[in-house]
Amino acid sequence: MAYPLQLGLQDATSPVMEELIQFHDHTLMIALLVSTMVFYTILTSVTTKLTNKNMLDSQGIETIWTIAPALILILIAMPSLRVLYMMDEVNNPHLTVKTIGHQWYWSYEYTDYKNLEFDSYMIPTQDLIPRQFRLFDTDHRMVVPTDSPVRMLITADDVIHSTAVPTLGVKMDAIPGRLNQTTFVVSHPGVFYGQCSEICGANHSFMPITVEAIPLIHFEDWSTSMLAKI
Amino acid sequence: MSLQKPVMRGLLARRLRFHLPIAIAIGLTSAVSFKYMVTEPRKRAYAEYYKHYDVNKEFNAMREAGVFESVQPTGK
Repeated sequence: MAYPLQLGLQDATSPVMEELIQFHDHTLMIALLVSTMVFYTILTSVTTKLTNKNMLDSQGIETIWTIAPALILILIAMPSLRVLYMMDEVNNPHLTVKTIGHQWYWSYEYTDYKNLEFDSYMIPTQDLIPRQFRLFDTDHRMVVPTDSPVRMLITADDVIHSTAVPTLGVKMDAIPGRLNQTTFVVSHPGVFYGQCSEICGANHSFMPITVEAIPLIHFEDWSTSMLAKI
Repeated sequence: MSLQKPVMRGLLARRLRFHLPIAIAIGLTSAVSFKYMVTEPRKRAYAEYYKHYDVNKEFNAMREAGVFESVQPTGK
C-alpha cells in the first residue's frame, strides 16, 4: 500500500501491474536519456563564449531533431500498445463482482450464483482499532479469490466516482447509466487499498476501496457465511 | 610579423563535433545506468519473490496475524 514520501508506483499484485511497472521503467529510462542530453546541451549553450551566427540553412539539424523524436516515440509506443492490448484480453473470468459507487460509499454485489450484496463504508477515524489504516479501511471488504481472473462491472448511483486499486493496476470510472468493465488477477493473498478517484462531493476523500484476496477455498467459505448472515 | 587569419567558418560544426558525442555519451550512460541499477534489479526482485513463493504459508501467516476479516485465525 502507499507509504509516506513514496516516489514510485506501489508494488504490483497482479501480472498486468507488473507489466505496467516495467513499461513505466522503460519510458522513464528514455525520458532520462533525453533529459540528460538536453540538460547538457543547455548547460554548454549558456556557458559558451562563442556566439553562433550559423542559424541559417539549418536543414541538417532540423532533420535530426525531427527524426530522432519520431524514433523515440516509436520506441515508447510499441511497449505501450503491447500492455494496452494485454489489459484488454479476454480472460474468461471465474467471478464477476459488481461495484456501485454512491455518495459516499461503495457497494458490492456477487450475483453469479446467489444474491450477495453489501455496502462498504470507510471506518471513521475515531472508530479505528490499532491494526487499521486511517482513511483506507472499510467496514466490509471486497473479497476475491487469488490466482483467479475477476471481472469487475462498475457503475454509480448518483454522480461520477472512480474505483482505483493501484497495486492491482485497476482504475475505472463509475458513471451513472453506464456499465464499465475491467478484469484483474490477484497474484498473492493480502489486503489492498485504493481510494475514490473522481471528485464526487464533500466526502470524496472518505470512500476508500478495500480488496481482500484469499485462496479460493477460503473465498467459498466466506461467501457461504456471508449469505447465511443475510 | 602578420597576424594569423582567424577561423570564422565551421564554428558550429566544430562545436557539435566536440559536444555532441559527449551529450550522447552522457545520455546513453544515464539510460544504461538506470536500466542496470533500477529496471533489471526490479525484474530480478519480482522473479525471486515469486520463485519460492508459498501461497499457503503466506496466507496462513496473514490469517494468524488477524489481517483478514473474511477468515478468522484458527482457534477463534
